[in-house]
Amino acid sequence: MERSARFWRVVLLAAPVAVFSVLVIWPLFSSFYYSFTNWNGFSSDYDFVGFTNYSKVVTDKLFLNAALNTVVWMVAAILVPTLLGLGLALLIDSRVPGGTVFKSIFYLPICLSAVVVGQIWVWIYQPNWGLLNTVVSAVTGYKLSYAWLAKPDTALGAVIVAWSWQQTGLSMVIYLAGLTSISEDLLEVCEIEGASVWQRIRLVIIPLLTPATVVVIALSVINSLKGFDILYIMTGGGPFHSSDTLAMHMYNESFKKYLMGYGSAISVVLFLIALTIIRVYFRQLKRVDEIYG
Amino acid sequence: MADVAASGMPSREFNPWPATILVSLLCLAVLFLAPTAGVLLSSIKTTREIAFGQLWEMPDKLFLGNFAEILNNPAVHRYFLNTFLVTVPATAASIALGLLGGYVFSKLPFRGSDILFLIIVSGMFFPPQVILIPLFRLFNAVGLIDTLWPIIFVHTALGIPICTLLMRNFFSAVPNALREAAILEGANEWQVLARVALPLSLPAVAVLATLQFTWIWNDFLWPLILTNSDNKRTIMVGIVNLKGQYSVAWGVQGALSLIASLPTLIVFLFFQRYFIKGMTMGAVKG
Amino acid sequence: MMAFTRRWILAVTAVAPTLSMIVSAGAAGASEVSISHYFTGELGKKGIDEISAAFTDASGFEMMDSPVGHEDFKAGILVRAASDSLPDVFSYWAGARVQFVVDSGDLSPIDGMWTREGLDDVVAASVAGSATMYDGTRYLVPAGYHYSGMFYNKSVFEDAGISDMPSDWEGFLALCEKLKGMGITPIALGSMNRWPAQFWFDYLILGTAGPEYRAALMDGSASYDDPEVMKAMSMWKDLVDAGNFAPNANAMTWTDASDMVARGEAAMTLMGTWITGYWNGQGLEPGGDYDFFPFPSISTGVPTSVVGPVDGWVISANVANREGAEAFLAYFVSNTDAQVKWATVQGALSANVNVDSSSYNAVMQKASATVANADHFAFNYDLATPPPVAEVGLSMFQEFMDDPSDYQALLNRTQTSAAEAFQN
Repeated sequence: MERSARFWRVVLLAAPVAVFSVLVIWPLFSSFYYSFTNWNGFSSDYDFVGFTNYSKVVTDKLFLNAALNTVVWMVAAILVPTLLGLGLALLIDSRVPGGTVFKSIFYLPICLSAVVVGQIWVWIYQPNWGLLNTVVSAVTGYKLSYAWLAKPDTALGAVIVAWSWQQTGLSMVIYLAGLTSISEDLLEVCEIEGASVWQRIRLVIIPLLTPATVVVIALSVINSLKGFDILYIMTGGGPFHSSDTLAMHMYNESFKKYLMGYGSAISVVLFLIALTIIRVYFRQLKRVDEIYG
Repeated sequence: MADVAASGMPSREFNPWPATILVSLLCLAVLFLAPTAGVLLSSIKTTREIAFGQLWEMPDKLFLGNFAEILNNPAVHRYFLNTFLVTVPATAASIALGLLGGYVFSKLPFRGSDILFLIIVSGMFFPPQVILIPLFRLFNAVGLIDTLWPIIFVHTALGIPICTLLMRNFFSAVPNALREAAILEGANEWQVLARVALPLSLPAVAVLATLQFTWIWNDFLWPLILTNSDNKRTIMVGIVNLKGQYSVAWGVQGALSLIASLPTLIVFLFFQRYFIKGMTMGAVKG
Repeated sequence: MMAFTRRWILAVTAVAPTLSMIVSAGAAGASEVSISHYFTGELGKKGIDEISAAFTDASGFEMMDSPVGHEDFKAGILVRAASDSLPDVFSYWAGARVQFVVDSGDLSPIDGMWTREGLDDVVAASVAGSATMYDGTRYLVPAGYHYSGMFYNKSVFEDAGISDMPSDWEGFLALCEKLKGMGITPIALGSMNRWPAQFWFDYLILGTAGPEYRAALMDGSASYDDPEVMKAMSMWKDLVDAGNFAPNANAMTWTDASDMVARGEAAMTLMGTWITGYWNGQGLEPGGDYDFFPFPSISTGVPTSVVGPVDGWVISANVANREGAEAFLAYFVSNTDAQVKWATVQGALSANVNVDSSSYNAVMQKASATVANADHFAFNYDLATPPPVAEVGLSMFQEFMDDPSDYQALLNRTQTSAAEAFQN
């Protein structure tokens, strides 16, 4: 029995592990290698510089700035689409007419290309004739011409709104599926017992949706890194680095300043941070597994 | 689940909930549609109209020149074909590999499998630009640059973490007793995977198919870097390249983007009915 | 389930051979020259296609084209350079950017071809001197170049009763005051993508401290906290404080700023000659709807400078078809039909002395004459200083446009970062 299990482990894991090692792990190691050099990307010559790049990470103000923005970005990127998606799922699941139409409307943003979505949001935030200021001016009667993307205080937030708009549909769909698995009998019992709507959501539905939440959060985290595209198009990390994230900072140092060695060091640090987060996440996941698995 | 509030109340009384929910959904839908409407508006306007700040105004007349320009362009047809040729195999392959990995991690754990799983899943957490240069070198060395193959390979590999994670979670919910019973009846692990675990996890496959299809379809970094010739480009590269260093092409970009979103929307509409059959890992466990 | 699997296998078996046929690349022939460039967009691509076709007819070499939008182009070229698989020919920005690639050993010298084809008699001496030689060796031929000047809306100026264009700083300030008095914003600047702001810095520093000091600043031997830079920035600050710039510069792209001028909401914008291509595309009449005047001279005794980028063609060090690559470079710069076509689609000027300036529109003729009469041609900021430093400076301009009040502190910080960037 155990020998056959060993045989099948090797057979089944061979392909995924081989593909993943060659196309992801090995390239990551090469990044690790370059993080100890002063390679500029263009040249075939470079020198080994020891830990210079890593000590630079510690003192680089732009790195610290980008790290803080990444925390803000990740927290918002997880919380906003998750909560919004949950809310939408609860609303749609209450058997309103046109459920599929609503679902499609909220899902549609994911289908549009990042280039065009980024451009549209630039036009929404345009200070003089952008949709946001036009609507606000019409409603309040006060002529607003605030430049949302051009001010360091609001640039990151403005991109987060655009990003949440694009991602909410995804968590909504997953929560909708999760909701269908909650037994109606259970909810009826709660109702007969006199639980209010809010109590039912908080004490019954949300705990039962935990498995769905695990998936939603995993997807949010992956996607928040893919959020690079929309950030790149809308602000490029600007104005003057106020919306830089670590991925953007890594890109700027490697591909705009041609400091490939330093950029590699940033990615290694980013990877280590991610690994720490993911271990915490898995500990939580294990707990969830024990309860629901 | 039942409509949260509507049921159970005496039917004679006026029940405000369904109407409230519908109205709030309608408001949210309008809010959500506004940016999409912007894409639509840009696609039926000339660059001059947009340049004059008239994007958000209703058009006097329908300008279909942008759509005509795209639909009559043979290069765009080629972009669509290429995107399908990359997206379909890469989606299928990444899910297949995720199935295999997820099954072992869930049903055949071994010493060190937790660490291996952690390493694979951590593959989701770095920006893809990190591995751009090594991968280009690799594919260049084997002479695959400027073909669609490396794009398929890269997306397959980059899809392994999420597919493995999701499939493992799903398989964990398949009772071990089912597997043991099948093994006692003489089935091997492959047969258990294909005939017992997989059918129970089709909703997960449907979710992954939708996600992977959408992500790979919308990616432009890898096709941009790994191909040179125009007849190897994908639709997203096509959208980006419509713009010049000193020129803009908002209308055409908007139109192409709308057309390019149709396949992903169709894939979503097709697969979403499978989501419902029990989407999360707890779901199949009755 | 089995049926599902079997159908699946069937489908894969049917698709796989077709796929491998369509997916694979054709083998490159000996007569092919691979080329990559950032001339995307309808006009750029059309220009390259037509010139390449004519070149193929004339020479027998076939161009394997690969256009990439210019931001992604920078990353794409880097990735290819890192793998020693650059295209035979690629477009690049003359100045510090080409210097960077030369220093990294990724380009082939073209001195032999240059002499053989007699390009000394073809390429204008001012461009040849500044853009094609790097450390005494020839690496680049100019595809075309641009000049940056003050482009204005003609009817706005006419309505304001302005007929004489200012030639000095006092005249320029008076012009701005007059426009403001009429309720018109004098200047539009779109610094959202940073680079459009650099022309202001370039002209102010060149006009006050002169080309020699500016060159020293660009190569790191002068510093950003020098009194020369402080003076230029304080003049810029005075301009901003006086309300001459349209608000929210950082929220606008260069096309937004151009649109403001076209709509008559602002009177002028400091921009490169490519703006003519953009405006002509929207039906504006060169010389009728818009015109330009050169940036006014500031300090007396300082040579007159003009600023702009040179788009060039270079040959990679790993070139596979050197003969074809050199033939293409020679053809592109010396064939006058190709040069005229290129200048027309790009809104660019030709560096070929045999191109008759009557092929330009009225505005471009004037631009060509302005460049010819200037004492000095300078690359704009991000092409004049090494890329890592340019990143620092461009962000500084944007921060300045957001709030110019504490420009001294800003310059001090910039010097710290720039010094660090020069060291790398």
